[in-house]
Amino acid sequence: MPVALCRSRGYATEASTATAQDYDIVIVGGGPAGLALAGALAHSPAIYETAKIALVEAGSLEKTRAWSMGEGEYSNRVSSITNVSRHFLQAIGAWDHLDTSRTAPVEEIQAWDGLSSARITFSTTDIPASSQHARPLQMATMVENLNLQRALLRLLSTKPAVHLLDNVKVSSISRASSDADAEAQAQADDYPRITLSDGRALCARLLIGADGHSSPVRSYAQIASYGWQYPTHAVVATLEHRAHPLGQPNTAAFQRFLATGPIAFLPLSPTASSLVWSTKPQYAAALRALDPAALGTYINAAFRLPPVSLSYLYSVLLEAHESGSPLTPQQAAEEVAFRERSHGISPHTAQSSSTTAAVGIPDSDADSFPPLITGIQQGTVAGFPLRLMHADAYLGSSAEGRGRTVLVGDAAHNVHPLAGQGLNMGLADVAELVRCIEAGVLTGADIGQGTTLQPYARNRYLANHALLSVTDKLHKLYSVESGPVVWARSAGLEIINELFAVKGAIMASAGAAREEPDAGRAAMRFAADAVEVGASTLHGARVLLTGLGTLAGTAAGRAIGNLITSAGKR
Amino acid sequence: MRVPVHTRFGHSARLFSRHLSNNARASSNSTIDPAEIEHFSRLSAQWWDEHGELKMLHKMNPPRVAWLKEKLVETAEVDGERSLAPWKAMSGKRILDVGCGGGLLSESLARLGASVTGVDAAASNIAIAELHQSHDHSLQDLEYRHAAVEMLAAEGHQFDVLCAMEVLEHVDEPSHFLRSCAELLEPGGHLFLSTISRTPLAHLLTITMAEDTLGLVAPGTHTYEKFIRPSELVSFFDHLGWITQTFDGRPSRHEAEVRGMMYVPWNGEWQLGPRGAGWSEQCNYLFWARKPMRRD
Repeated sequence: MPVALCRSRGYATEASTATAQDYDIVIVGGGPAGLALAGALAHSPAIYETAKIALVEAGSLEKTRAWSMGEGEYSNRVSSITNVSRHFLQAIGAWDHLDTSRTAPVEEIQAWDGLSSARITFSTTDIPASSQHARPLQMATMVENLNLQRALLRLLSTKPAVHLLDNVKVSSISRASSDADAEAQAQADDYPRITLSDGRALCARLLIGADGHSSPVRSYAQIASYGWQYPTHAVVATLEHRAHPLGQPNTAAFQRFLATGPIAFLPLSPTASSLVWSTKPQYAAALRALDPAALGTYINAAFRLPPVSLSYLYSVLLEAHESGSPLTPQQAAEEVAFRERSHGISPHTAQSSSTTAAVGIPDSDADSFPPLITGIQQGTVAGFPLRLMHADAYLGSSAEGRGRTVLVGDAAHNVHPLAGQGLNMGLADVAELVRCIEAGVLTGADIGQGTTLQPYARNRYLANHALLSVTDKLHKLYSVESGPVVWARSAGLEIINELFAVKGAIMASAGAAREEPDAGRAAMRFAADAVEVGASTLHGARVLLTGLGTLAGTAAGRAIGNLITSAGKR
Repeated sequence: MRVPVHTRFGHSARLFSRHLSNNARASSNSTIDPAEIEHFSRLSAQWWDEHGELKMLHKMNPPRVAWLKEKLVETAEVDGERSLAPWKAMSGKRILDVGCGGGLLSESLARLGASVTGVDAAASNIAIAELHQSHDHSLQDLEYRHAAVEMLAAEGHQFDVLCAMEVLEHVDEPSHFLRSCAELLEPGGHLFLSTISRTPLAHLLTITMAEDTLGLVAPGTHTYEKFIRPSELVSFFDHLGWITQTFDGRPSRHEAEVRGMMYVPWNGEWQLGPRGAGWSEQCNYLFWARKPMRRD
């Protein structure tokens, strides 16, 4: 006779006196990945007709549900949603609940190297159109994370199948059976029991960790992870600028690779955009402490001035910050103007950060740089550390008694934001996991078992690993400040390949017009090729160019460099 | 551990009387081989360890269930029955799972809405199956019995579907076993088998490779002489009157069907061969036949 999952066993221990509620699926974490997972599960009749689903979130979902901002104001946490992610969100019905007036298409991306100014521009037209799929209208769509979370909550409010338990923390996770139950222990196939801060307990056939970087589910599952903190923080802010003088839309994203980390400009509306500036932690702290007007001046300069002047500006910034009197807007403007004069940059050219002179007909180079920042929306300047992390496995081991656990999104991997793939990787995880669960339900499988979940891990781990590697490698390539790599970069020999790798990582899932089972694999191949190119050029530069120092800058040097590069590509 | 030598020789000696000759008379009341029961009793603690010795069987379950559903849906369409939601496709079906082991297939069928009876000749398997079931609240209509098909037939039970997965290659008198199975089915009922063909390839893959070399399957699990070819099954059910016509030795797919099943190592999954592809039936295969409706 069937008995309930948890109730079948006697609880003598103090922590487990409460009767646990049985659920088939318990999701921990109500961020974008957790909510998208709940939404996708609730969208599949095979799943919601047969499974009892709960989502646990420590914060208030009501606050997210009620989130709203004035017209023209934007949240500082913004994600670039690839076309694959967008089609997934459309397929589960979440896109309809999005305030699309607050989203912006990215139709062009310009990425360039701070040292050599070597530049790559790619746009929607680079996406191959196939017989099955028309070319998408955008490469990606900029969406505020809160806009997406609110849309997912609105979707979930129409789906009673998912029980949302918010304002409640996970106090502990343990194995459901007591130690006395030796027979059940021996089976090692045990249900996780989640004790909540309000005293409730849940028993899960399948426990899904969408609980972010310091995932309690990952700890319970005893899944180790590897990774490191980058010596880098990101500064984010919502930027204001003038509309394009010739009335062109603000649909281009800009990213400049500086030795301290990339600085990115992501469009939100004709007069607002989002900033992600990765830099050393001490600079990040000093930038965040600046008067918004002074920060705006520094942002404009960071996209435009040569590296030597940026180093100078950083040192002035840090000195003032450490002396306790941060730069005033006036001082910042004077310092930037001084560096421009020393480089012979006229205030009327595109490379000038002067906002007063930039009126009238724009310079011919103007579209190579983001619009000049005229202001920063109040309260939007924030920062956070960047890290790389990849869990050693996505599934807990049933042999260790930690089965019935699976990780998605940031609980499984943290990626450098330079390719804008973090959330997209999480959404791809969600799509694949839901596909596996649905396939399991349709064959009457126990959805907590490895046989059901293994394809998820198999199909996502390498794809995610490839993107993690390529972004990590790129971050490091650009952070090298001396030696043959930098020589090669300044000579413009290698940079084109590195920028192609950037393109590969960013475009990884831009092309597919809808969610396809093969999209993940195709993306993986794309990114893996990029890694290979990145790695081989780095290696090539190190090994071969050290011996070719005397040829630097000569035509022969260039020719040899090209040979190395093309060999690397093969 | 190998199956004791005397049993192995015993099979070889009986080779000709085996192999599904319809004239073979049942020599005993039960077709169960005691050595086989002993072997599986030793394995019983492993039934639910997905990474253990029965890993291949766990992986085999999803495509088997999928095919079972496919055939039931197909025949329901032919019979003009209303279609059910795919996640409850077995609703209302009384299913007997013969040789249920730890209950891998029985549980899946019960979750899909069927009323399932699992029987096994090894009492330890039944104990494991019941223990596992007791942990799972989703298993509503499932019961296990330590019994043999002959016993159930004698008790006069009737089922809509009978599954004997990976059983035929372990029984002593396959023709007698199959006749007992046939008796347990309602007219129009479905018989599903999954077994291994008697070919050099099957010997190489299931015994030389899987058991002796790679250790994927516990040594002693299979005995080559007990393997049965698809053509032998087709001719058995031809004689039984379930198959009225064949085309190039193949039955009409409304009466019976043979499907090869292959393990694809790079996907880590079992896959069904295409319908009618003889090359895919050289080793593991599935067999379905439908008991004729009563002629009124």
